[in-house]
Amino acid sequence: MAEVVAPNQPSGDWQGKYYHVDQVLETPGPRTSDAFAAGDQVKGFLRNQSKILVIGAGGLGCEILANLALMGFKDIHVIDMDTIDISNLNRQFLFRPKDVGKPKATVAAEFVMQRVPGVTVTPYYGKIQDKDDDYYMQFNIVVCGLDSVEARRWINATLVNLVDESNPDSLKPLIDGGTEGFKGQARVIFPGVTSCYECSLDMLNKPVAFPICTIANTPRLPEHCIEWASVLEWPRVHGSKKLDTDDPEHITWLYNIASTRAQEFKIEGVTWALTQGVVKNIIPAIASTNAIIAASCCNEAFKLATQCAPYLNNYFMFIGTEGIYSYTFEHQRRPECPVCGGETIDVQIGKEWTLEKLMEWLLEKQDIQIKKPSLSTDGKPLYYQGPPQLEEATRPNLEKLLSDLVPNEGEISVTSTSLPFTLTLRVTYT
Amino acid sequence: MNSPEARTLESATAAFVSFTPQGTMTPVNAGSVPDNKTRRYDRQLRLWAASGQNALESARVLVISGSATSTSILKNLVLPGIGHFTILDAEKVTPEDAGNNFFLHQSSIGKSRAEEAVKYLAELNDSVESVADTSTLANIILKDPTYLASFTLVIAHNMSTLDLVPLSTLLWENAHNKPNPSPPLIVIRSAGFLAEFAVQFHEHTIIDSHTEALPSLRIDKPFPDLETHALALEFENMDLTDHGHVPYVVILVRALHEWKQKHDGSPPKTYAEKKEFKSQLTNMKKKIDEENFDEAVAQAYRAWTATSVPREIEALFSDPACTNVTSESTPFFLLLHALSHYTRRTGLLPLSSTLPDMKSDTTSYIHLQNLYKTRAREELEDFAKVVSGVLDEVNAPQELRTTVEGLIDEFVRNAHGLKVMRGRRWGDDDDGALLAAIASYPAHVATHLALSALYSFEKSQGRYPTIGSADDLGAMTAWVRERLGKAGWVEEPDPEPQNAGIEVDAEDEEDEDAPEPEPTFWKRVQNALGEVARAPTSDLPTTAAFLGGLVAQEAIKLVTKQYVPLEGVCVVDLVASTTGVITV
Ligand SMILES: [Zn+2]
Repeated sequence: MAEVVAPNQPSGDWQGKYYHVDQVLETPGPRTSDAFAAGDQVKGFLRNQSKILVIGAGGLGCEILANLALMGFKDIHVIDMDTIDISNLNRQFLFRPKDVGKPKATVAAEFVMQRVPGVTVTPYYGKIQDKDDDYYMQFNIVVCGLDSVEARRWINATLVNLVDESNPDSLKPLIDGGTEGFKGQARVIFPGVTSCYECSLDMLNKPVAFPICTIANTPRLPEHCIEWASVLEWPRVHGSKKLDTDDPEHITWLYNIASTRAQEFKIEGVTWALTQGVVKNIIPAIASTNAIIAASCCNEAFKLATQCAPYLNNYFMFIGTEGIYSYTFEHQRRPECPVCGGETIDVQIGKEWTLEKLMEWLLEKQDIQIKKPSLSTDGKPLYYQGPPQLEEATRPNLEKLLSDLVPNEGEISVTSTSLPFTLTLRVTYT
Repeated sequence: MNSPEARTLESATAAFVSFTPQGTMTPVNAGSVPDNKTRRYDRQLRLWAASGQNALESARVLVISGSATSTSILKNLVLPGIGHFTILDAEKVTPEDAGNNFFLHQSSIGKSRAEEAVKYLAELNDSVESVADTSTLANIILKDPTYLASFTLVIAHNMSTLDLVPLSTLLWENAHNKPNPSPPLIVIRSAGFLAEFAVQFHEHTIIDSHTEALPSLRIDKPFPDLETHALALEFENMDLTDHGHVPYVVILVRALHEWKQKHDGSPPKTYAEKKEFKSQLTNMKKKIDEENFDEAVAQAYRAWTATSVPREIEALFSDPACTNVTSESTPFFLLLHALSHYTRRTGLLPLSSTLPDMKSDTTSYIHLQNLYKTRAREELEDFAKVVSGVLDEVNAPQELRTTVEGLIDEFVRNAHGLKVMRGRRWGDDDDGALLAAIASYPAHVATHLALSALYSFEKSQGRYPTIGSADDLGAMTAWVRERLGKAGWVEEPDPEPQNAGIEVDAEDEEDEDAPEPEPTFWKRVQNALGEVARAPTSDLPTTAAFLGGLVAQEAIKLVTKQYVPLEGVCVVDLVASTTGVITV
């Protein structure tokens, strides 16, 4: 085994570097499809031509970047808008205490390039929404390791919109991973072809929402007292000053207010950590689960890029709390998916519904979940969230009966600034 | 997401933590900004709390070989703060090693693999102690048999069968040594996209299994104060506000009491009776939109579900370690023994003090919560007396007594989810179990057999198969045939080609939608063997990372004695993107 770099090796490579990966690239396996071009051709594509985008440089992102680099992807881009926090260090292994406060994307990219010679990782410290279609068009595959539902809906819809049937290159496979505690999932999405992220929105657990009247009048749990402090007391006392859930002083303030209220109502269990957990909606996260899901995502990215084995069709679910349980299945498309289905959604609503009630329903409904929607019918605004003049002009409609605004079997278009798609509802009154 | 797992946040943080000067986590009524260590571990403390973290920080793990899989596992143990790890590896880093292992570097080539891997892993967490041991396993076993006993867990990846057999035997046979019992062993084998691993242990007991099962609220057997409270309420005379705020627990206790009076003391039994009971609840409403009564209807099953000791817990009482306790018994079995006495007298597990949230006003809910808390405290004290009696009976030394008494609270809180697991020795498959597993999980058994064939080859030939060698594949295939024959497996005939002898229209569209026929078991074996022969010595980075996560999760569950670890062999097929668990 030569320890000297052979003269014909590209920079950063050495004889034997890809010994482990090459075994599966040099010969097909029994389940490999005929499309696999074993040997130099597939290696050349993987190492010299493919370009892959990683969204998120956090718990999953760090793992994904390291895996992709070791598997032989050499042109990797990464986007993340966050900076490093001390609570990331129990799992985001490309960061050290000295990096706290620095952008995740930049630090992660530098680390991977230093540890794996020959790979280029191009970081972008910012939002995915900053980038346009041309930017996303340059990649072969997008791997997503995000904890935000909103951001995943955005990239999913963006990639579905990107599909141009006359241009096969416009179809960008999206590999999405997510974890919570000992559980997680990885999936492969072919925008417009297979079930998309939006298709499976109803599989998410319903976010905990405490009714405002419970918080205000009948608190029972420590969480109710914490919500009272953050939702009602903070704005009352601090006016327009925004609550910063990353600021320990703000959390301490909330904790003190919540504790006082809890004492008043004889409720036990308000702690600083619980306060922080509730207001930041903290999801438990550990390195091992992220490793499983990130490895699964990268295994699929590698199989997609090389065709050396069939890829996941299309959902892998993992639960490690009680033994080891996983379920691999094909999640079905939803014909009425607002992103990839496009069929109008029929809704039956009571005659007594106001426009405001419909808006609450949109937020509540598991497969829709639209925050701050703007609604219009027949090209005319029903309620717009902005600009302020339009919001003011349409606000009176909120209290009106929907049946006075939209005829039976009329259609309502729903849009939201946070989501690049339009949902069409056809209403019938009961 | 709001899963039951996430809801343990409340219990994890209710007893949040600070650190003593020695660094041990102790629960406090935390009202201040947490220190740096607590902040660093925040996202995991919300899962396994201070008790799990302390267990992790006291654990010492030995990993044999510095392979990509080994370092991937260690990464996931060093980050959460395992106490100590040792990498045992006498090899030097090869160019191949530096290419697939994130915890080696190009500059590591030619240096000690143990030392280089330890160097790059130790960077991840300053509070973890680490050792690079460059001796060989054989030397260690010969020279210092107590060496292995100094660890909490031993992990071996792709270890040669000639080393693995004495290692697993030694660990299995010395597991009950006093005062230094040998630790459990995790054996991992992988090749390319395929892998499997198993844990060898004698016994594993769990107090906090984080079960999703909920403890009983005793609606059907209300304790006196609860019943008195429910019967004293005058529903008719309440104003609408109060009526709409009676907790469903109280409504159910009251409604069941009234039902029983009319039905010879029996709860609703038949479907018709259950339906009638529900309409009785609905009829209690004063206004159509009283959500507390809707909740009562939704929770009505609690009224006819008899509260008793769960069957799984009852079964633990007949475990020999529970029936015969001595001063040598573990705290778990002393407590379990006491619980068996306690439940024999009461017919019930001690009451849990946690009351779920329900539609109510503050006063009614807190009053009800206090009834539960008070009763739970009384039953806990009662149970503590039984425990004390058991400790007297076995003449428990003071140290053991203190440990046991310190666990009573946690034990009672989790009594409905207690677990005792009996493990197996690592080694050959049982014929009957193998056949049964083939019937249930053919794909996973095929992978398992292919990896067994690889290591049987390695054992008999003293080398790994040559990449892509047809002869070596033939040898492995022959081994599986022989193994299956010995087990009494009979090959099923190949399925007749669906359209044999019939002219088929090539354009037939139905063909495309027709599901592919399930492969026969032998076809699955050939697929798995083909995959092994394609990449017999590949420690593929993604497979290594996947195993790194899986094995670390199991290690954490074993060390913290929380959650439920693997029982059997976990099989991984990253061609099919599946995992499975088989018992062979
Ligand atoms: Zn869709």
